[in-house]
Amino acid sequence: MTSFLQATLYGLLQGGLLGLIAVGFSLVWGVMNIVNLAHGAFVVLGAYVGWQVNDWIGLDPFLGMFVAAAVLFGLGYALQRWLINLVVNGPVFITLLLTFGLDLMIVQAMNIAFSADYRSIPTSYAGDSLHLGGIRVPLGRLLAFGVSVVVTLALVALVNRTRTGLSIMATGMDRAAARLMGIRARHVYALTFGIAAGLAGMAGTMIGTVGTFNPAAASGYTLLSFVIAVLGGLGNMYGALIGGLVIGLVEAWAGQYLPGTWINALAFLVLVVVLIVRPSGLVGRAYYAARLEV
Amino acid sequence: MAAAARWKPLVPWVSGVLLLLAALGLQSQLYSGQERTVTAIFMFVALAQAWNLLGGYAGYASFGQVVFFGIGGYFTAVAMTHWHLSFWTCLVLGGVVAALFGALIGMPLLRLRGHYFAIATLGVAEGIREVVTNLPGLTGGGAGITLPTVGDQATTAYLGNDGFYLLFLALAALAVLVSGLVAGSRAGYALRAIHQDEQAAAAMGVNTTRIKVLTFALSGLITGLVGATYAFQQVTIFPERLFDVDITVLMVVMVVIGGSGTVLGPLVGAVILQFLSEYLRQNYTSYHIFLLGAIIIVAVVLLPQGAVNYLRDARRTGEYSLLANVRRYRL
Repeated sequence: MTSFLQATLYGLLQGGLLGLIAVGFSLVWGVMNIVNLAHGAFVVLGAYVGWQVNDWIGLDPFLGMFVAAAVLFGLGYALQRWLINLVVNGPVFITLLLTFGLDLMIVQAMNIAFSADYRSIPTSYAGDSLHLGGIRVPLGRLLAFGVSVVVTLALVALVNRTRTGLSIMATGMDRAAARLMGIRARHVYALTFGIAAGLAGMAGTMIGTVGTFNPAAASGYTLLSFVIAVLGGLGNMYGALIGGLVIGLVEAWAGQYLPGTWINALAFLVLVVVLIVRPSGLVGRAYYAARLEV
Repeated sequence: MAAAARWKPLVPWVSGVLLLLAALGLQSQLYSGQERTVTAIFMFVALAQAWNLLGGYAGYASFGQVVFFGIGGYFTAVAMTHWHLSFWTCLVLGGVVAALFGALIGMPLLRLRGHYFAIATLGVAEGIREVVTNLPGLTGGGAGITLPTVGDQATTAYLGNDGFYLLFLALAALAVLVSGLVAGSRAGYALRAIHQDEQAAAAMGVNTTRIKVLTFALSGLITGLVGATYAFQQVTIFPERLFDVDITVLMVVMVVIGGSGTVLGPLVGAVILQFLSEYLRQNYTSYHIFLLGAIIIVAVVLLPQGAVNYLRDARRTGEYSLLANVRRYRL
């Protein structure tokens, strides 16, 4: 029983972080219909920014994540404003390939700048744990979970309660109508992509605090974001968090009770079943799943 | 003029045969390193053509196409190692198994469209890779499996550089031929109709499910044959390599850069990209991936419809400006 509870807790904590990794991916996909294959590269780049400021001035990663978010926001804004907007009306292959090219460039640039070695961002406390009954609660993961939930709630508030957020949603629903209402679509798209990249950067710094990272990990995070975004569903800001929690729990339980690395196959099995049974995801809106742009 | 019009349908056939003869003649002129490079180009021509059958003509972008490659390769490895079948038997059976698998997963997955189909196929490919990794008794697991190519255990003598050059050339020619036949057939029209408007195609009497599933299986067959040959060429294979998502992405990149939904496009795209990639690898070793990424970005921005489609439209309309091209998809 204790081992089950331990696995459940671990899965929930991990799931929150997975949600933060995927939330930006889901936002970009839902609003602009872009599947951003460079998302994982943004996550890892965020980890390197957090690591770098920690290395230079010893900044704590829970503050460094704001630096990572700012840097990635700027990068994401510029990329969307001046590059991706050039092809955003094309068929889906086109944006997919463009972001694939970006992914290759960013990952290789990180390989050259930081080498392929595994790194982590050191803190004096992230390795400590609290004890509740027989269950161990790792402090770093608890904090990362808290950050993920708070950031997701902040994003929901931004999208639902501010003019900026409402203009993002409006542009996602009907770009032509939004432009007629005076919304600057190019700026809103860039802003959306910037926010997504910034959140990815934050998630990256969290990953670097509770575990290790290297440039090669980027494609894994992109794939994971795919799975989580589809599982949760598009068009609902809580979707990524819920999808992340489900995947976190499934993987934690599978790790406890299944031999070998069957655990990796399970996440994809869940994905395929969800797609066949309920393509709009667990909490997504059918409108986004029904869009047929190919 | 009338005579020219009569001969026009023969042009693709004649140029195809000439190209094949040129490729055969080229072999004796190459060093063994160059021969391997050209062999890899042939392999990607076949793979890009296979992807184009469903992804290009019908617009169903499979992002798990590599699963057929892996199944063909692993079937060959397992059958040669454990069941002592000859490579040629394995090659045919590997292709058939991949085609059957395509039909099997096609039936539920081809109900999905757009991104969702792409991701579901990606999920299948990743899942099958994990299954292969977790059956070490049969497949050698993550440590890989070595095909019997020498000694008493060898069921078929290793083909060597020259043999694989010819075999991959034959597969590439087969793939181009199949693509050309599909493009001109009823099935090709049905697939293009599905691309434009699936419901309208169904209303016009196209059995969309059947044609999609059959095309997916056909595309799986070719990819499986290539995978089987690749496994034999590599001798030792690993799940990470045989189910590498980058192989799928390369197929897509090649088709899009060349021109999707055409016979010539995947051929042109595969030759250009594979040649360029090899050139960069040899001359700018540490930066070559970076440069390849930059080239893909520039190509996608300037030629979003692919080289072949761009030239065809430009010849018809006289509009060669690349800026007009960029304006089309700009926000």
